[in-house]
Amino acid sequence: MQKEIVIVGLNHRSAPIEVRESVAFENGYVRDALVRLRGYPAVQESVILSTCNRVEVVAAVSDAETACHDMKIFLDEQRAGHGASSLEDHLYTYRGADAVRHLFRVAASLDSMVVGEPQILGQLKEFYDAARQAGTVGTVLHRLFHRSFFVAKRVRTETGIASRAVSVSSVAVDLAKRIFDSFDDKNVMLIGAGKMGDLMARQLQRSGVKSLMVTNRTFERAVAVAERIHGSPILFEDFPRYLKMADLVIGCTGSPEILVDAPAVEKVLRERKQQPMFFIDIGDRRNFDSAINEIDNAYLYNIDDLKEVAEENLQERSNEAQKAEEIVVQEVESFGRWIGSLERVPTIAALRAHFDGIRRRELARSLSGNLKDLSSEQRQALDDMTAAMINKMLHGPISHLKKDAPEEDEEEMRFIAALKKLFDLEGK
Amino acid sequence: MDIILLKATAVLYLLATASFVFYVLVHNTASRLPTLVLLAGFLLHTSALSVHFLQEGYPAVTQFHEALTFKSWLIVALYLVIQIKYRLTVLGAIVTPVVFLMTLAAFAFGAASGELPPGLKTYWLPVHFTLAFLGNAVFALAFAVSLIYLLQERGLKHKKMTALLKRIPSLEALDRLNYQLLVWGFPLMTLGILTGSLLARIYWGDYWTWDPRQISSGIAWLFYGALLHGRITAGLRGKKAAVLTMFGFCVVLGYFLWGETLFPSRHGGRFE
Repeated sequence: MQKEIVIVGLNHRSAPIEVRESVAFENGYVRDALVRLRGYPAVQESVILSTCNRVEVVAAVSDAETACHDMKIFLDEQRAGHGASSLEDHLYTYRGADAVRHLFRVAASLDSMVVGEPQILGQLKEFYDAARQAGTVGTVLHRLFHRSFFVAKRVRTETGIASRAVSVSSVAVDLAKRIFDSFDDKNVMLIGAGKMGDLMARQLQRSGVKSLMVTNRTFERAVAVAERIHGSPILFEDFPRYLKMADLVIGCTGSPEILVDAPAVEKVLRERKQQPMFFIDIGDRRNFDSAINEIDNAYLYNIDDLKEVAEENLQERSNEAQKAEEIVVQEVESFGRWIGSLERVPTIAALRAHFDGIRRRELARSLSGNLKDLSSEQRQALDDMTAAMINKMLHGPISHLKKDAPEEDEEEMRFIAALKKLFDLEGK
Repeated sequence: MDIILLKATAVLYLLATASFVFYVLVHNTASRLPTLVLLAGFLLHTSALSVHFLQEGYPAVTQFHEALTFKSWLIVALYLVIQIKYRLTVLGAIVTPVVFLMTLAAFAFGAASGELPPGLKTYWLPVHFTLAFLGNAVFALAFAVSLIYLLQERGLKHKKMTALLKRIPSLEALDRLNYQLLVWGFPLMTLGILTGSLLARIYWGDYWTWDPRQISSGIAWLFYGALLHGRITAGLRGKKAAVLTMFGFCVVLGYFLWGETLFPSRHGGRFE
């Protein structure tokens, strides 16, 4: 029996966060939900996907109409406890090649809110594993998901979609990596207590910097921030003295005052024997003299520079997404060929059975009629000969059937239909 | 035989150049293919030089074109070492075309290898040119590394963020490599000059003869010495160090290419 792939679900584009949350499957309950889904006879194989940006049911079904209807009911039931309004408006349905394409795009992070973000693939694998353990994955979904992981990998290696930072602080980290070889011997100084500075310092800490100094006009706030991000607070009056120890300096005071000017940086650089320094002016107001960037071995980026790079990267990502879409198209086609070949397997078997049946019947009749005096060796030889004859006769058509051809190839479909009709294979 | 091998080497260097340019500049992906092609070329090159040595009984360095091809061989060897240690594929994109052109130029100047003058059949000759050439090759690579440093530095200052710049090593790593090359190159150059003056004593009669070749080497030596001193004591690093490293090599290269026609020397590939 031919199975069709269908996907019913909603994502960050089709439904607002409240709706997505109301349908979301909590981690521990996915298994139960899969078992419940198995109760619908039209759904043969299923995987549930539930992240903060999407809830989808991927299924291989025998009757797409009924199954889609059932899956919508299933999602509605999931929501029963949460909201009253109809889910219908937010749901999308994909069938056949469209469903394959959709899943491939999800896996390759082309359907993500931030295109190219890498988490989705891991989540996909987790939910696939959960379904496998629940026993709701069969041949079709097994192949479909493994193929989608492969597509994601291809997209990641063949396009630059994931290689570009799109948040301001990760852009700054990327830049720092172009200046510094390693972070584990680098010290960071955070001046001010603005939110962006805080984020930046945390990101640098995750990247493994050696130490973090925090200073603020109000010392108590410096202490509070330092405690929160595991840094050491220093007095505001003292920070120029500590500047020579800092490789990365983040300015984020929120007030428009130049705290570090170019001559000060020149002096500090002399003291540190020209070891490079990276100044990140990440607040909305400037804290660093723009002339710092003119000094050798000092690099200054302000929030606008970083935003500009982030936007360029986003643009670049969408360019790369074009390449990724092409990969998806290729892969959907090749998956379609596989599905198509699944359909031919029963045709081949039926064709063989049909001819073999004729052979056996005729052989039996002859061997009990005018050939009944043959020795057992002769009988065997006759059996072999007729079997070989049938094989030779069917060789052409069967090898044609086995050849990979696109699912939608009309001529191919007509060929299969003709075979079925000519030899009356339907229903056998 | 060695000529055929050299021609095959040149072809492989050309292929390596093409693949470096393709992978690094155009396609921008990490691939080991260019390095492997270069390695194949290097092995052929090695066999070409070995065949020459076995046939002639002395290494192929007495002629200008021979010196050129020997030097390119050393540069490839050094690059391969750096590539293994630092994975600096971008450097390959600079080094390989240069090496290919050097091999090609060797053919342009190519003549039959001359007889080695009897007076120079000493053990000091191979020691001298190996040290001197090795020093030159190290400085050639330092030149290329400095160039990459300037590329990265410029990109950072002008707030450019291309995929290529992201794949180039950090300024810190490039500066360190540049320093290490200087640390290796300077003693090699010193030894090259010392063994050279020993040969000058044997062949020309005096350790220091104010020959243009000796003078130009002396200038380059003083320059690199000052650079090394500055780096160690005065915190000379980064962009300035890179520019000076490149300038130093231009002095060496300039004399090697044109100086000899302006200030004829008794040294080099012309032992009339």
